[in-house]
Amino acid sequence: MAGPHIELKDVYRTVSRRQGTDSASSAVLKGVDLTVYRGELITIMGPSGAGKSTLLRLINRLSEADSGVIRVNGRDVRDYDPRELRRRVGMVFQIPVVFKGSVRDNIAFGKRLWDTGADVDALAGEAAIPRELMDEDAAHLSVGEKQRVCIARALANKPEVLLLDEPTSSLDRAAAEKVEQLLVRLQSEHGLTMLWVTHEQAQARRISGYNYVLEDGQLCREHG
Amino acid sequence: MADVVVLALGLTVALLVLATILAARYGIWKEVSLSGARGIVQILILSSVIILMFNLPLYWSALVILAMAAVAGYTTFTRSGRLDRMLQAAVASIAVTSLAMLVPFFALGIFPLEPRYLIPTGSILIGNAMNVSSLAIDRYRGELRNRRAEVEAYLALGTTPRMATEHCLKQGILSALIPSIDNMKNLGLVWIPGVMTGMLLSGSDPVQAASIQVSIFIAIFLAGMIASSLLLYYATSAFFTHAMQLKDEAL
Ligand SMILES: Nc1ncnc2c1ncn2[C@@H]1O[C@H](COP(=O)(O)OP(=O)(O)OP(=O)(O)O)[C@@H](O)[C@H]1O
Ligand SMILES: [Mg+2]
Repeated sequence: MAGPHIELKDVYRTVSRRQGTDSASSAVLKGVDLTVYRGELITIMGPSGAGKSTLLRLINRLSEADSGVIRVNGRDVRDYDPRELRRRVGMVFQIPVVFKGSVRDNIAFGKRLWDTGADVDALAGEAAIPRELMDEDAAHLSVGEKQRVCIARALANKPEVLLLDEPTSSLDRAAAEKVEQLLVRLQSEHGLTMLWVTHEQAQARRISGYNYVLEDGQLCREHG
Repeated sequence: MADVVVLALGLTVALLVLATILAARYGIWKEVSLSGARGIVQILILSSVIILMFNLPLYWSALVILAMAAVAGYTTFTRSGRLDRMLQAAVASIAVTSLAMLVPFFALGIFPLEPRYLIPTGSILIGNAMNVSSLAIDRYRGELRNRRAEVEAYLALGTTPRMATEHCLKQGILSALIPSIDNMKNLGLVWIPGVMTGMLLSGSDPVQAASIQVSIFIAIFLAGMIASSLLLYYATSAFFTHAMQLKDEAL
């Protein structure tokens, strides 16, 4: 059996809050441990401000851990070229951000950047983006449509891991369900390792996988 | 004569007080009043020493111009969030572009190589490069702050910081150049520039005065554009860590 795909060992992260000239720092993550194997889907829940986004951002190194080790494929994230790490470890944010240009330009972004040979139309189809939207200005889409574009755009990088930071929380119920089902399907079809942050217990239950809770700076496996 | 001095200075003080009162609404009364007072004192001193400077040997002019560029660079630096290495970048970008724009005027003999031409021409080039650079860096930081999500979305796909900030940088330059572009297109309509007016008053040929004015004007514009582009180019690396992460403290 191969080693873990993603591994966090005793990870700490402190953030400093600036108020005028004062700055106070507070520990958000206090010794987080996590092991995820290839092709697994885990969910991470926790109260607002618990540090869920902070945790995900350490894995693709948008921020830096203060101490501890984070490994992807057994290799310390600090030993990767950050760009290559981020190609392998894709991210979908809570609020979708589309780039200037058409829907097609957006989805093809990573394909052009990395020459991954991804099939843009096939990805759009998988993300349930209607064909007639492909040449529209991405800025005009609804939030739900934008989020699907962001998902397809992340996949065009041909990542191994997808970090999802509350990908459905800015969507209404119907759009959220659609995106949720889409992500579950994509995970199995692409054999992706997924770390999915959600604040909805019901969603975590619907997504079969291991459920974790981040509380008081520590990550615990949820039982039951 | 003495009456005019008293009246002008009295008016200056009254206007500055008015400006300060209005500025208080925007929370910048301190900056406005101090800058105003500083400017008044400096100009009064300058007016009495400038003739002396014009009579000093030429290498003094070079020193004066470098000192102006250093002050201009420092001023722009204070608008950049005072990041590491930004002071050098601001001074260098303003000094290099302004000096480069001065060269052709004196090399071609459009102006005689004398302090009384070198210092004022250098001053308008440097002053404008400073204005444009300060606006550009301030707007660039604002764009990065407001569009942080977009910048990080680019980074998360594996772009370099340079690609991730391309749109923010362009917006910074574009906004900073708006006043210069508007002045350029309204040259002679809204804006009657000083160099030409001075030359005409001292009896120069109108065509000659106008040709010199336009060449200076375009040089000023170019200096502003190049200086701010260089500055934002260097600033980009100061806004990111080596691991291509946006620095929180920079924004
Ligand atoms: N760059 C930063 N500077 C200062 N404080 C920060 C920074 N990033 C996060 N924080 C703080 O760290 C804590 C954790 O934030 P984080 O965004 O990770 O929470 P979260 O669990 O994702 O919350 P939510 O469910 O609301 O998205 C919060 O208190 C936040 O204010
Ligand atoms: Mg969050």
